Amino acid sequence: MRTIITLTACTMASITAMAQTRDIAYTEFDLPNGLHVILHEDHSTPIVAVGVMYHVGSKDEARDRRGFAHFFEHLLFEGSDNIGRGEYAKYVEKAGGVLNANTTGDRTYYYEVLPSNQLDLGLWLESERMLHAKVESKGIETQREVVKEERRQRYENQPYGSILPEVLKRAYTEHPYQWPTIGYMEDLNAATEKDYKKFYKTFYVPNNAVLVLAGDFNAEKATTQLTNYFGPIPKGGTIPRNKVVEPPLKGEVRDTVFDKIQLPAVVQAYRIPALGTPDFYAVDMLNRLLSNGNSSRLVKNVKDAEQKAVFVGSFSLPFEDPGLAIAFAVANMGVTPDSLEASMDRQFGRVRNEPIPPAELEKLKVQIETEHAMENGRMAGIANNLANAYTFLGGTDKVNTEVQQYLAVTADDLQRVARKYFVPENRVVLYYLPLNQKK
Amino acid sequence: MNRQRKTMKSPSFQALALAATLLIPASMTAQVDRTKAPPAGPAPEVHLGEHKSITLANGMRVIIVENHKIPIVSAQVRFDIPPIMQGDIAGYQDLVGELLTSGTARHTKEEIDELVDGLGARMNGSNDGIYASSLKKNFPQVMDLLYEVVSSANFPREEFEKAKTRALSQVSARADDPDQIAEVVGRALTYGKGYPYGEVTTEATLSKVNRDDLYQYYRYFFQPKQGYLVLVGDITAKEGEAMATKYFGTWKGAEVPVTKDEQGHDVVKDLGPIIPAGKQPPMPRDVRVAFVDRPGSAQSVIKVLFPVQLKPNDPMVLQAQVLNTILGGGVFNARLMQNLREDKGYTYGAYSSLDADRWCGAFSAGCSVRNNVTDSAATQIMDEIRNIRKAPVKADELALAKSYMAGSFARALEDPRTVARFALNTYLNDLPEDHYDTYLKKLETVTIADVQQAANRFLQSDSATILVVGDKEQVAKTLEGLSTTGVVLDFDINGDIVRIDPTEGATPAPAGMTAQDVLDAYIKAIGGSAAVGKVKDLKKEYTTSIQGMPATLVEYYKVPNNYAMEMKMGEMVLQKMTYDGTRGKMVGMGGEKELEDIELDELRANSYAFPELHYAEMEQLGRLMGIVDIEGKKAYRVNVKTLPGGQFDEYYDVTTGLKLRRKDYQSQEGGGYIQVITDYSDYTPEGGVLFPHTLHQGGGMDMTLTATSISVNKGIPGSVFSVE
Repeated sequence: MRTIITLTACTMASITAMAQTRDIAYTEFDLPNGLHVILHEDHSTPIVAVGVMYHVGSKDEARDRRGFAHFFEHLLFEGSDNIGRGEYAKYVEKAGGVLNANTTGDRTYYYEVLPSNQLDLGLWLESERMLHAKVESKGIETQREVVKEERRQRYENQPYGSILPEVLKRAYTEHPYQWPTIGYMEDLNAATEKDYKKFYKTFYVPNNAVLVLAGDFNAEKATTQLTNYFGPIPKGGTIPRNKVVEPPLKGEVRDTVFDKIQLPAVVQAYRIPALGTPDFYAVDMLNRLLSNGNSSRLVKNVKDAEQKAVFVGSFSLPFEDPGLAIAFAVANMGVTPDSLEASMDRQFGRVRNEPIPPAELEKLKVQIETEHAMENGRMAGIANNLANAYTFLGGTDKVNTEVQQYLAVTADDLQRVARKYFVPENRVVLYYLPLNQKK
Repeated sequence: MNRQRKTMKSPSFQALALAATLLIPASMTAQVDRTKAPPAGPAPEVHLGEHKSITLANGMRVIIVENHKIPIVSAQVRFDIPPIMQGDIAGYQDLVGELLTSGTARHTKEEIDELVDGLGARMNGSNDGIYASSLKKNFPQVMDLLYEVVSSANFPREEFEKAKTRALSQVSARADDPDQIAEVVGRALTYGKGYPYGEVTTEATLSKVNRDDLYQYYRYFFQPKQGYLVLVGDITAKEGEAMATKYFGTWKGAEVPVTKDEQGHDVVKDLGPIIPAGKQPPMPRDVRVAFVDRPGSAQSVIKVLFPVQLKPNDPMVLQAQVLNTILGGGVFNARLMQNLREDKGYTYGAYSSLDADRWCGAFSAGCSVRNNVTDSAATQIMDEIRNIRKAPVKADELALAKSYMAGSFARALEDPRTVARFALNTYLNDLPEDHYDTYLKKLETVTIADVQQAANRFLQSDSATILVVGDKEQVAKTLEGLSTTGVVLDFDINGDIVRIDPTEGATPAPAGMTAQDVLDAYIKAIGGSAAVGKVKDLKKEYTTSIQGMPATLVEYYKVPNNYAMEMKMGEMVLQKMTYDGTRGKMVGMGGEKELEDIELDELRANSYAFPELHYAEMEQLGRLMGIVDIEGKKAYRVNVKTLPGGQFDEYYDVTTGLKLRRKDYQSQEGGGYIQVITDYSDYTPEGGVLFPHTLHQGGGMDMTLTATSISVNKGIPGSVFSVE
């Protein structure tokens, strides 16, 4: 058993005087059953966000149960020993609140935002979900159909909707990141009651979760109540982790996907280091240099000056294990994918070969600083950021200090990571072409 | 708003946190009753937050909301511009926003982009203003640039050409995206293309757009007297006021000379007349099903649509919102979500919206579903809309909706921009000054009866358009039963009816055969040209029923081309038309008018007793499209060109030569077309010629006409055709 109090307030001042951002104050501790708790008190609006992040995502799935973590997310709204099917959301909405959840490769996050006098309701609901969630066969069958429709709506019926699954399956051969979080229908169809029970018992346990409260509450009273609700939940076993290390790509992977589209697209996915590593921050900064704002390099050159694209962007997938940076461009009228890719490659070549001007680095820093200030405007966002910092960034204090890791990136770092990661032999390139070009 | 924040720097808070941790040991855990939901504490008070409002000397109104929670300030400039018709350059207004930040008297686009990004700012233009935000420390420079852009954007030609090319690419890509198609076609069908909200941007309209259209629009509408400047965030009222005065205080706006056209519209040089929205679009007369084919779709996108007369200051606006929340407005427990997702598993999510608007409101309900449940899902949506009109909502549904809306109201106030939005809405929509102050109280008083009243007033389910974007081959046929007329209308991605269905001519007609051959065979089948030629006058009397009430229709013809018709219900004349060979007149419930232009042409085309004899001379005869199946019978399909751009199809029985069907495309008031299908049967001879005695019409209005008498050469007085 371990209790922690982290004091964050003083860590910032020494590092930089330029940051105009204000720190998120919080307390944190563990319950004896291993549940980590983070509290952020703010009385400016009479609402409270209640979030629980379980450290389980699609990378924890068995190879023949792809999509299970996300499917499970749906099922955990079905009820508990004390909550009937369909009542979970009713309690929240009747109280004037909202609720939702989402799943990634690494984690599953549930939350409610409630009027502040309904905090206990949020604690009860989330503790019921953790203690004894219950799923009936009607719920399983219905949600299976719902998830299939979610898959069709998001991936199959949207132009370019299959990009992520198509990239992942070529970018990873060993690691479970090779399948998308939504998974595959045949696996979900094959899932049995035994699978649900096992998954729930293994991952939905207090020692694999963090509970965050953010908003208008009294920390002392809230601690008593949350201890009452979550304290009795038994601790789970050691959490099994897929310790797969993906080997490096054996050279560039290139392929073509035919889709119901008119404008061709080019996707380049570069393998990058894991979230929270120093190089991750440099890579993420580099992505901003490439596509954050109209003066960024890809937007300014590929889209505007050369008019090769109607859209171009590059972003990092912030994965717990080594992830990907994806550059994506949709061709302007009459532009071939080859010519579009050449234009993109020129910009990647420039960051590898030419020093980054200091003014451009300064611009990135101001952008980072502004983003950091903006992301803490709402309780729901703060709760999510706190949970994320605790679970993935090496400590809750990162919610305030992560910005320093960005600001510490130098022009040399940018060039170094460009040369190390943004190179052809470390990427998957996909051309998206109209179906009628298929021979 | 509350400026006090507890931070870790406060010693008392640290002590509290310590105390909290000491409470942890398991022995301290108290028992709670898990079997039921814990009771709520006393309801917290919701504070709306304050704004300051001043008016500058030039008429521009400034709204300032002070909130220091995060070190960000935002500025919005908004001009109160009514919706205006874009006509044959539809789409130009969408480019205004992008061009706004593409160059000024002092800076190029590249320099503006560098400035914005260098300040870590956001700056986004639109066709009615601009929004910008940044850290407080950079905000003065952002305001500087913002003012420069609003007051002296110069819309460089080169940037315009680039933006236009990208927009053309994007319009062509619209065909790929079922949600975008549904959005664009949905608006066209809701409002009609004759209303600004229903206009559709196409490659053809975009190609006609010039840089000057945008520039003159900007100069004409971006004027201080109809402008608002909204400052929100880490700024004091005093600072905000000083900034507003410094930048916009002496701004005059561009001087744009205007002339007037015949209708009294302002005419702006290089842009043309400024035509505001006309009266609200008419409600369709029945439930129609509109289909946009997207072959190979994995899902159907369904939307149920109709316009709604609901302005933001309508006394029933809150009741309407409660109604929509219960039906499908965002809550998980809404009827559409519970029925279509949680009970049936048809969709990932089903929603509805009932939007108030100063000019024309709209209702929309819909979802995306797998192909083989498209008809079931559309049926369920229609049922839910009808049911909520029919039966009162349950008390717990009402309670949930009201709680949820009250909660949403409180949550929205977390963002200081909400307070500013409320203030701006109050001005723009002419709301009572205490509209938002009393929102929660008024919400509390909404009753079950109110909701039903709102349902009956706003949910015009009998005038709904059910739009489906999906795989026609798999889905369209199953939807026929949902349409009042039993017909599924095909639309293209631009919201135009598909007039020629290239797939319909299933098998080719025999080589060498022409449309004229088919018409000749028809004349032969009904008695031959000699018998037909003997018909000098003709009177056809039919009975039918209109909305369950018996009605009669009489048509008179006299050679060469005099025509009259009269439709009556009892003794009441519903419609009367006369054509004397040159002039035409229509008398209806709303008075009489002489017909001109297209309407006169249409009447003339209908004035022959045997119009098939005249297709060729009227240069109407189109093409023989092949042989298709009409309800089990093989039929020649003849496509006939009519008035400018118009056409219809006729289907002639391959075996008997008789006409089985005519498919018309009738233009509708407010734009768009309705496909009217007339089926002919019960051919019996009168005066040596076969006439169909049963006419079934579907499309515009579903009706069956049964001939009670058809008399040939019995003499018709000329006064019947008089236009005087």
